[in-house]
Amino acid sequence: MRGIVVHLPGSSDTGGAGEPCGDAVTLRLAPGEVARFGRGSPTTPVELRLVDAAISRLAGEIRVTDDHWQLSNHSTTHSYLVENPEGAGEYLRVPPRRAGAPIPFEFSRVVLPTRGSATVSFQVYAPDHVYLDPDGMGGPWGSRTVTAYSLDETATYFLVLVALCEPRLRDESPVAVPTTPQIVERLGGHPACPRLTARAVSSHIDYLAEEKIRISTPAGADARRDARRNGKREALVGLALRFGLVREEHLALLPPRAGNGPRDAEPRTGGGNGAGVVRQTGE
Amino acid sequence: MQGSSGRPGSDGTGSEGTRPLPPGHRIGSWEVTGPIAAGGWGTVYAGRPAAPGTDAPGTVALKILPTGGLAPSQARKVAEVARREVEFGRRARHPRLIRLLDSVEVSDPDQPFLDGAIVLVMERAACSLRERLGSAVTGAEGARLVGGICEGLAHLHRSGWVHGDLKPDNVLLMADGSVKLSDFGLVTELTGTHGTHGYAPPMGTFDYLPPERWNASLSEQGVQVRPSADIWALGIVIHQVFASGASPFPGATPVSRAAAAQEYADGRASLRLDPAVPPFWRELVTDCLAPAHAARAGHTAESLLARIAAHMATADTPDTPDTPAAGKPRRPRRPRTLRTALTAAVVCGALAAGWWYAARDTAPPRPGPDEVSAAAAGPSSGAAGRVRVFNAEQTCRDRAGGRDPNCSLGLAVDPLHPYTPDNVVPTRVWHGDVLAVDCQYPQGLPIVDETGLRSSQWFRVRLPAGSSGPGTAWLPAVRTKDRPSVPVCPRPTPLP
Repeated sequence: MRGIVVHLPGSSDTGGAGEPCGDAVTLRLAPGEVARFGRGSPTTPVELRLVDAAISRLAGEIRVTDDHWQLSNHSTTHSYLVENPEGAGEYLRVPPRRAGAPIPFEFSRVVLPTRGSATVSFQVYAPDHVYLDPDGMGGPWGSRTVTAYSLDETATYFLVLVALCEPRLRDESPVAVPTTPQIVERLGGHPACPRLTARAVSSHIDYLAEEKIRISTPAGADARRDARRNGKREALVGLALRFGLVREEHLALLPPRAGNGPRDAEPRTGGGNGAGVVRQTGE
Repeated sequence: MQGSSGRPGSDGTGSEGTRPLPPGHRIGSWEVTGPIAAGGWGTVYAGRPAAPGTDAPGTVALKILPTGGLAPSQARKVAEVARREVEFGRRARHPRLIRLLDSVEVSDPDQPFLDGAIVLVMERAACSLRERLGSAVTGAEGARLVGGICEGLAHLHRSGWVHGDLKPDNVLLMADGSVKLSDFGLVTELTGTHGTHGYAPPMGTFDYLPPERWNASLSEQGVQVRPSADIWALGIVIHQVFASGASPFPGATPVSRAAAAQEYADGRASLRLDPAVPPFWRELVTDCLAPAHAARAGHTAESLLARIAAHMATADTPDTPDTPAAGKPRRPRRPRTLRTALTAAVVCGALAAGWWYAARDTAPPRPGPDEVSAAAAGPSSGAAGRVRVFNAEQTCRDRAGGRDPNCSLGLAVDPLHPYTPDNVVPTRVWHGDVLAVDCQYPQGLPIVDETGLRSSQWFRVRLPAGSSGPGTAWLPAVRTKDRPSVPVCPRPTPLP
């Protein structure tokens, strides 16, 4: 159990109005740890400072519990929303003064109301969520030997991982790993992520590599950034296939391919960070 | 006879990869005598050499790992586990390790679920340590159990291996009470330049994973493991032995206990051991559970074994309040060891209740409290086997200890006669009760349980002493998950 990651985007991260200004903040909380959030003051210190006059000095707190986290709402008047950005509108309302509401999402966006229509929000990732192995279901799993890396097979990051593994799973290319633009193109028609951007794909890959599968960084990692990113995706594909995290049956999660011609299998090199994205429309 | 010994699909055998094998089925030079247990990874059968006269033991455990019907990558995973076990079994032999006698790759295209299966033929144990954890353990008996585990681990580590999945389910007790480690599917050979670590598949059991594992990174070879991972797991197991199975870490689920272990390892919580653990063993547990690998590495299985030996050799063990020998003059060490070994064999026999363990994950749902019921306390000497009563209704399983009349199950007088009130003996049984079995009758009246499970098999069980009636009655096979290998009963005499 490693706990959760809390990310407060800086104003430059989104450019959107109403986001707190200042630098992005990332906090890592281990099981049992607590982070307070709010406007803060010298007498009311907070770990996560939300700069907005409408937010109280101590607006609430986050506590890591088991593989998830709890949200306490210190406001006496406002509810907070916890949205699941991957949940097609799925959200939880945490009413005023609610203590320790368990949050079940692996990805959450905590939204606090401000004056007017603007909101303040931050993100919480809970990568510890446990999933049972597909084989050996049924019966108690407490004393069972399990794969110690669990992935949510309905999450977008898993789709990205399957798309990364696709050429190898289809035995089309033993070496080629799709580039970010190729992943965007491949998943473009998927109903779960119709607006997937190259940037999102990159962050899913980073999340997989750093939080979920925790690949060991290959030696000589001080190479160019692109090369490192490629090393990361190759390592991800290697590990996912080697340890059966992605299997043949997962190919069914991907949208049907536009053409079964060799075009898709054609290895592309390079793979810049979002540059030259070709979005495919329709099938 | 077909299907008569079939295991229900609801107990975890679930996948179509497994199908019951009839007694007498040949696998290599071995013959199936009856099922033992089934789990996610495969099925375990009792077996014997097909041709007598070999030097192999009379009864063995056949662990069947099917690969047919699995996707290639899953089949590879199974094959990888089997390969580790076989390779390890070939190279490691020790009185404290379950011996791998043979491995057979089945080629039987007529039976797709068996074709390609890997069968591991192993020594047969009486039960697993998990079965013993429900009850209190005396100091001497605990020392013997832990000492046996340490001997096995010390041998493994000395030979350059890490077990990687030490837990009570993988510590087996033989019929003579001796302790043996089993399940070497995650065993890892120490490589590294100085033989300090190895790489294992990224698998394990939540309650026994050392805290550093949660931050370990994964490489192509797997995840790094060191002998200190086994020492952490040993610390948990020692605590469980002396605290009736309780983990040293608080929490209702493996996930919350893992989180609690992490809090402790990070220094945000202290270690609060169960007061039932005697002082000497508390010290041992605390050393095994040193939060950092570096601190734990100072305590090897060998050094722990030496401390246990020294402890047992010292005169009194005041930390063993329930020791039968308490208050009696101290005896020399040897006879006592012998006596506790005998005790172990007996206790295991009473509690094992027919769960003849021999493999990873073969435990069917653990039914109810580990209470030996009035029925189980009945005459069982010479019984061919035992079954534990299973109630298909979850609510009855949850309150099995309460003897709720609504949750009681009846036993038939005649298995060929409809299950009507006049065909039921006065003695009722409840979920979790252990009954002595004489024999089984495969072609009784078919019984369908609440979940739709159907079987025409019946067990002739013994009634507790003092119950009115004939002394035996019949339990439908759908009322237990056990399939002890017992002889076939003669055709029951019909009711007058």
